[in-house]
Amino acid sequence: MTPILELSHLEKSFGNHVILRDINFKVNAKDVISVIGASGSGKSTMLRCINLLEIPSGGEILFHGNPILDRKNDIPDYRTKVGMVFQNFNLFSNMSVLENCMVGQIKVLKRSKEEAKIKAMHFLEKVEMEPFINAKPRQLSGGQKQRVAIARALSMEPELLLFDEPTSALDPLMVGEVLSVMKTLAREGLTMIVVTHEMSFARDVSNYVVYMDDGYIIEEGSPDKLFNNPNQEKTKKFLATILS
Amino acid sequence: MISEMNFFERIIYILQSYGMSYLAGAGTTLAIAIVATIIGCLIGFAAGVVQTIPLNLDRDSKVKVFLIKAVQTFLHMYVELFRGTPMIVQAVFIYYGLAQIWGIQLGMWQAAFLVVSVNTGAYMAESVRGGIISVDPGQMEGAKSIGMNHVQSMMNVILPQAFRNILPQIGNNLIINIKDTSVLSVISIVDLFFVHKSVSGALYTYFESASIVMLIYLTMTVSVSRLLRLFEKYLDGSDNYELANHMDIGNQMNKKRL
Repeated sequence: MTPILELSHLEKSFGNHVILRDINFKVNAKDVISVIGASGSGKSTMLRCINLLEIPSGGEILFHGNPILDRKNDIPDYRTKVGMVFQNFNLFSNMSVLENCMVGQIKVLKRSKEEAKIKAMHFLEKVEMEPFINAKPRQLSGGQKQRVAIARALSMEPELLLFDEPTSALDPLMVGEVLSVMKTLAREGLTMIVVTHEMSFARDVSNYVVYMDDGYIIEEGSPDKLFNNPNQEKTKKFLATILS
Repeated sequence: MISEMNFFERIIYILQSYGMSYLAGAGTTLAIAIVATIIGCLIGFAAGVVQTIPLNLDRDSKVKVFLIKAVQTFLHMYVELFRGTPMIVQAVFIYYGLAQIWGIQLGMWQAAFLVVSVNTGAYMAESVRGGIISVDPGQMEGAKSIGMNHVQSMMNVILPQAFRNILPQIGNNLIINIKDTSVLSVISIVDLFFVHKSVSGALYTYFESASIVMLIYLTMTVSVSRLLRLFEKYLDGSDNYELANHMDIGNQMNKKRL
């Protein structure tokens, strides 16, 4: 079976500054992959490369075996299948919660208004935000915004959902409500790549963990192996610092 | 006999004789200002949008890049030319110049609308560009992340927010236009200022007529700025929101089951 997504020899540099070096890994259906590492290690850049918000400088990204860096590839269409949840939510501030979850379905997927509304309501219920459909993003708390952002991404029914430090801008109380939504999604079999500083999520929820440092993937494997039995000195040092 | 009256008596006399002329002049002024501001905004939005098209030298074809660059350069020159020269000179240049050089004789109304619109457009182009740039880049990323292309992102997400942000600028331009249409009297547009010149010329009552005209201009500009404030409030919507009640949600659910 071909993996959903495959990165091979992915590189990214801004000018002379190299951010990602020779990144290789595969994402299979129903994988929940956590990407951990210190700030500045290239985790977020890697995620943004996957969604083509940054264009990689080298290497290959294969989606179901198709090279998406090919010039002929339809980037917007690819993005409907690979959703993204941002650290700063990026909800459309000129729209209500419900409109946020409908606009992509209507304008991009060409669904009817009725169908889009039913889908949007379904996912807003899943994140327990359905009472707030009339609110504007500025009227919500951070945790509520992030749950709406997750519902917006889910409304497009992507095959793969990318989370870019989804809880880093939240206070500790709100982290819990967002993580619990993500746990539910993981349990239901959504394929996810999660860049996170939440070690408990990486250890308990994901089935695969990638540790990055200075643009390299230093170590990867099952949470058990990575957290309890790391091979690399750098991984041990990182875990010792962060778990102490 | 007017020389024997005091200030207020003269004002009343002028208003009795020429009141309707002042009103008609004010109407002309307002009409040109409003229409030209609207057309200018459309020009400004088109120009601002073109100026902010992102170019990707690796992916976009050479022809597309060249065309967009060419249009951007043209727009840049347009903005500099019309921002950088006085409107009164532009009016003369377009009304008399086009006729002399190219034999294009615009009516004075066409010339008036053209000059004020194109002028407003030049200022608005920069305001719109600024408005677009000032929208949080995360909004564009959010739009891209659900598969919107550049046009969809602009139409649904960026421009509505940019419009709200530059609304005070649009108001500024409208007020400037109400006042600056006075220069159109050089091409014989009978606006409020032209009426003032005629009346004060006929009666030698410069101060009195100027007082009337000042008051009319001020009334128009203050009303316009009040109306725009209300419009801003309307666009911002209420500070509160209603929780969807469970009946609504229940109905939603029933529909889904059907």
